[in-house]
Parts: sequence; C-alpha cells; structure tokens
Amino acid sequence: MSDLKTILKANNLKLGYRKGPKETVVAENISFELKAGELTCLLGPNGVGKSTLLKAIHGQNPPLEGDVLLEGKALSSFDQRSLARKISVVLTEKISSANLTVGQLVGLGRTPHTGWLGRLSPADKMIVENAISVTNTQYLHDRRLSELSDGQLQKVMIARALAQDGELMILDEPTAHLDLVNRYEVMHLLREIAQRQNKAILVVTHDLDIAIDTADQFWIMQCGAPLSTGSPEDLILKNKINLLLPSAILQFSKELGKVEPIVDRITVVIDGVMELRKWVILALRKANLERLDSSTKIIINSEEDFTLDHQGHIYQLNSISEVIQKLKKSGL
Amino acid sequence: MDKSLSSTLLILSGLLLIAVLFLLNISIGSVFIPMDEIFKGIWSGEFSRSSWETIIKTYRIPKAYTAILAGIGLSISGLQMQTFFRNPLAGPFVLGISSGAGLGVAIMVMAGSAFGLTLFGSGVGVWATIISATVGAISVLLLMSLTAWKVKDSMTLLIVGLMFGSATSAIISVLAYFSDAEQLKTFTIWSMGSLGSMDYSQLKVFLLTLIVGAIPILIFLKSYNAMLLGETYAESMGVNIHRLRWAMVISTGILAGATTAFCGPIAFIGIAVPHMARLVFKTSDHRILFPASAIIGAAVLLLCDAISQMPSSAQTLPINSVTSLIGAPMVIWLILRRNFSKEF
Repeated sequence: MSDLKTILKANNLKLGYRKGPKETVVAENISFELKAGELTCLLGPNGVGKSTLLKAIHGQNPPLEGDVLLEGKALSSFDQRSLARKISVVLTEKISSANLTVGQLVGLGRTPHTGWLGRLSPADKMIVENAISVTNTQYLHDRRLSELSDGQLQKVMIARALAQDGELMILDEPTAHLDLVNRYEVMHLLREIAQRQNKAILVVTHDLDIAIDTADQFWIMQCGAPLSTGSPEDLILKNKINLLLPSAILQFSKELGKVEPIVDRITVVIDGVMELRKWVILALRKANLERLDSSTKIIINSEEDFTLDHQGHIYQLNSISEVIQKLKKSGL
Repeated sequence: MDKSLSSTLLILSGLLLIAVLFLLNISIGSVFIPMDEIFKGIWSGEFSRSSWETIIKTYRIPKAYTAILAGIGLSISGLQMQTFFRNPLAGPFVLGISSGAGLGVAIMVMAGSAFGLTLFGSGVGVWATIISATVGAISVLLLMSLTAWKVKDSMTLLIVGLMFGSATSAIISVLAYFSDAEQLKTFTIWSMGSLGSMDYSQLKVFLLTLIVGAIPILIFLKSYNAMLLGETYAESMGVNIHRLRWAMVISTGILAGATTAFCGPIAFIGIAVPHMARLVFKTSDHRILFPASAIIGAAVLLLCDAISQMPSSAQTLPINSVTSLIGAPMVIWLILRRNFSKEF
C-alpha cells in the first residue's frame, strides 16, 4: 500500500465561503490523501459539504484555511490549463449539446492539451480511441449524444474524463439516475480504470452497497466532525459506517452487510442453514414479528423447507411468506 | 475524414450560392437592367449606358456588400451568444447593445425637440447617424463589459443585458413621445433598417470594424467547443470562463453594434442563422459552425434584400420587416420539423 504514489494531500482544511469579511464555514478538520490506482468513495448526507470539498479539490473554491497539495505543490500555484491536465471531472449536470457525437465528445477531453484550433494530433487521437475502448463504448463512437441512454451517456462522460489524461478523476454522483446493472457497471468500470490506468479516482456516491463492493478507500463526511477515512472493510468492523446514519432509526448491520432499522435483539430463535438466516430476519422485521416470545423457533432446512415451532404447534412450510402468514394468523 | 470533406463541400457550395445571390441581388431594382449587361459590365467595367453604371456601381454593389457584411456580423455574434449562454433563443440583441445604438440615434434625431435644442441642424447625415449609433452602442457595451467583469454568473449577465435593453427602449419611447412627427418618422425609418445608405468609404470602416470584432472569436475558437458541455466542464478543461465571457461581450458588442450602427436594427438573422447552420452542417463543431453561419448569414441577407426590392416596383420594403417575415416562419418550420431543443 505504501508504495502507491500520493496524488493529492490535504491537512486540516477549513472549507466554506467568504463574502467580504464574513466567513461561512461548511466543514472543518478535513484531512485526506488520494493515491494513484485507488478508487475512493466520498459518502455523506446531503448538505454536509461534499460539493464544497470537491470544489476545493478542483480549485474552484479555495479552502478558507489550509492547502490542498497536488503532487506536492499547492493547488493555488497551478494555472487553469495545467490543472486541467491533472484533474478531470464528471459532473451531475446534463449535457445539452445533442448534435455532438461520442467521438467528438471524448475528443473534447483533449482540450487542455491541444493548440488554439483544438486540432487532435495522431497521439491525441490514440488517447481518445484508448479512452473509448477502455470504457467499452466503441460501438457508440458515431452516435449522437441524444441517442444515448443514461448509462451509455455516463460511460462516455467517463471516457471523456479519461481522455483528459490527468492523474486524478473526480466524479460527482455518477450512478444517480442509473438502473441497478448500470450502477454496478459504472462503479466496476471506475475500479478497473483506477487499477489498470493507475489513476486516482474520487467518487461522490450515495450507493453504500456498491461503494462497499468497489471502493479501496472511504471518506465519510459528517456534520461538525473530522473526515473519517479508511478502507470500507475496516470502517465496517470499527462501526464507523454508522457515522453515515446519525439518526436513531437506522444502523449498518455487519451481519447483513447493509443498512437496517434499529430494533431490539431478535427474540425468535432461528436455526438451520445459517446463510439463509438473514432473509428470514428481513421478512420478520418487515412484518414486525421479530420480537415474538422466545418460545417461537424457526428452523431453516433448505430454501423450500421451513419448520416453525410456535405456541406448541409444529408446522412444515415451503416458503418464508408461509411462515410469516402462519405467525401473523396465530400471533394476533 | 469524410465528415470534414462534406463540410468543405457544403462551405464551397455556400460560397457559390453567395455569388449567385450577389448577382441576383444587383440585377433586381426599380430600374430594370438586363442580366447580360450586368455580366458584361462587371467583367469589363464598361456599361452601355452610363446611368446603369452609376446604379450598379454606386448603389447596388455597395448595398450587396453591406448585406454580406451585415449578414456575417449578425450571425457570428448570434452563434457566440447561443453557445455561451447555452440558450437557443439568445441572439446579438439580448445584451442590449443594439438598443444602445438605437438610443444614440434617437437622441440625435429626436432629442432636439425634446430638449429644445438642435444637434445637427435640420438634415441628418449618414455619418451622423452612424456616429451617434456607435456612441450609443459603445456606451452600453462598456456597461456590459463592466458587468461581465464583475458578475460570476452568466445568467445574471443575460438578465442585466435584457434590462439594459428595456431601459434604453423606454428612454427611446419617452423621446419619441416628445418629438415632432417628422423626427419621429426619421427615427422610425432608421429603426426599420437599411442596407442601401452606405458608400465605399463607409463600407471600408464597416469591414474593418467587423474584422476587429471577429478577432476574439478566432482567439477563443477552441473554448467555444468546450463551452458545449457547459461552463463547469469548460472550466475543468482549462477554459478561462471569465476571460471568455469578456471576449464574447466585446466581440458581439462590436459586431452587432457596428451592424446596427451602419444598417439599423435587423431582426432574426442573429437568432435564426446559427440554427440553420447547425441543421445544414449537422455539427456542433465551432470550427465549422462559425464559417458556416457567416456564409448562411450573408446568403440569407442577400436573399432578403433581393425580396425587399421586388422587380419592376419602385418601392422597397424595409429590410427589418423582410427578415422578420422570412425569418419567423423559417424558425417555426425548423422547430416543428425536428426536435429543436435536442438539436441545440
């Protein structure tokens, strides 16, 4: 891990906006490190300052205190063009230029590298074609943007950012508005790009499940507290993921690997095939049945065979929903 | 490769179309001159009647040149505005610069009676009109560039421009209310636009101004392509939005301001032509769109001018009305024909 090159580093940033003498502080104690070859996910509730952090990293809104260091040099010492050669972005705003073809769009990524007419050299064209093939969008090359689905559009936007060929790629909620498969595809694509092209990639996302599956590093941002960083697995074991869930209603279950409502311990005894246990728990929870008296026992024999021991009766049932129905009928 | 080839072919045929329309334009007028006489005259410089020579050389040819230059100036400033503001309805007039020119002319023509003093005697010369329009346009241009320098948000700039336009129009109305009938008529005729009031010395100045106004476009050509993705993306690709915004205001200000100063307000060309260029050339690349808009703008204005002086009629229609009468249905047709908002 330690031999990975650090691209971006910051210590104790204070983020916010300055208007005249008035300072509006959005977040404090922000320290982080971004390494080449790693996919980092930035998570946090709406309004916590993720966008402000991105703007600070991208040089649009310098921090009130502290410096962001890009490859060891202060971000403010870069001019816009040389910054554009280091950092590329994928934003949430929609592209309205429908006449643009995918090839042209990705070609625009070379803008900070080309001369005043923006003509692509053979080397530029190679980089563009490579970006398109890495994102598996060759078949879209001559399509116009208006003909693309949201998922395809996101992939070609990633190709454009890749063609810009910086060390760092920042993506603001690239999986919003995408269907399940595309969410996975986009995040796994980013993971692949980070590893194979040795880029540092920072993704803002709200998709906790997919982020846990794909990210090397998590940055968890919360109101009034320092940024918590670490690998998702470590953060899960240390219960740090719960920082994302400050309310008393939700918590992250290490066992289920997902967010669940907080309830007292399950009193129903569940036995049998342990891998299937979580689905029974889930169904019980939805039916508000998890706190039945502890004399109730469910034995999972297989996916299609459940034994229910309830109020002295023993039932042989074929599905979880039958178990729930039986419990509901007799329990009430 | 074949795409850039077809663009080149389209641009060449556009140039040919301009040549044809140019000949058509100078052959039409209140005095009938046979086509072969015009060909012969242009070729050899000798006309069989000296009156024809005068008409062609001192009236019709400068007017056709004016149409070409005004068409180019308005369309390329319209294209800049539409791309910069990411708004298909933006045009060279939204920054209030031509209203400024109008105000200049209105003050010169009408303020005499409104304030009880005479600025230019009784007659209003061409140069006087041009100078006062230029002063008006430059004043608004300065205000707008100051705003462009100050504000961070382009939408703010657009709204400020519209407000400048409304304010100047209001002042013009007040002036019109207090002026007498003859002055009002002079101003109204100016506001209908005219391509035919220039001689070669004025044409030279017009051409030079347009070249100066087009220089910022050449410098920032690449940035306009990056702007297709919106301001934030453009910035992330190294475009200095602040500088581009300023250059855009200066460039459209000079192009639209000069055109209005020399020809009066001419509607629709600035809004409609960039859309036609996008449709015909099927591209968003500004390296093609700028020359394409220039060519189509010149051709359309030549055509409109030809229509405005229908053959065997002594009357000419005001050019501003013709461009609107032809432009409005054209834009409606374009919008209905294809998915307009997606096209942009």
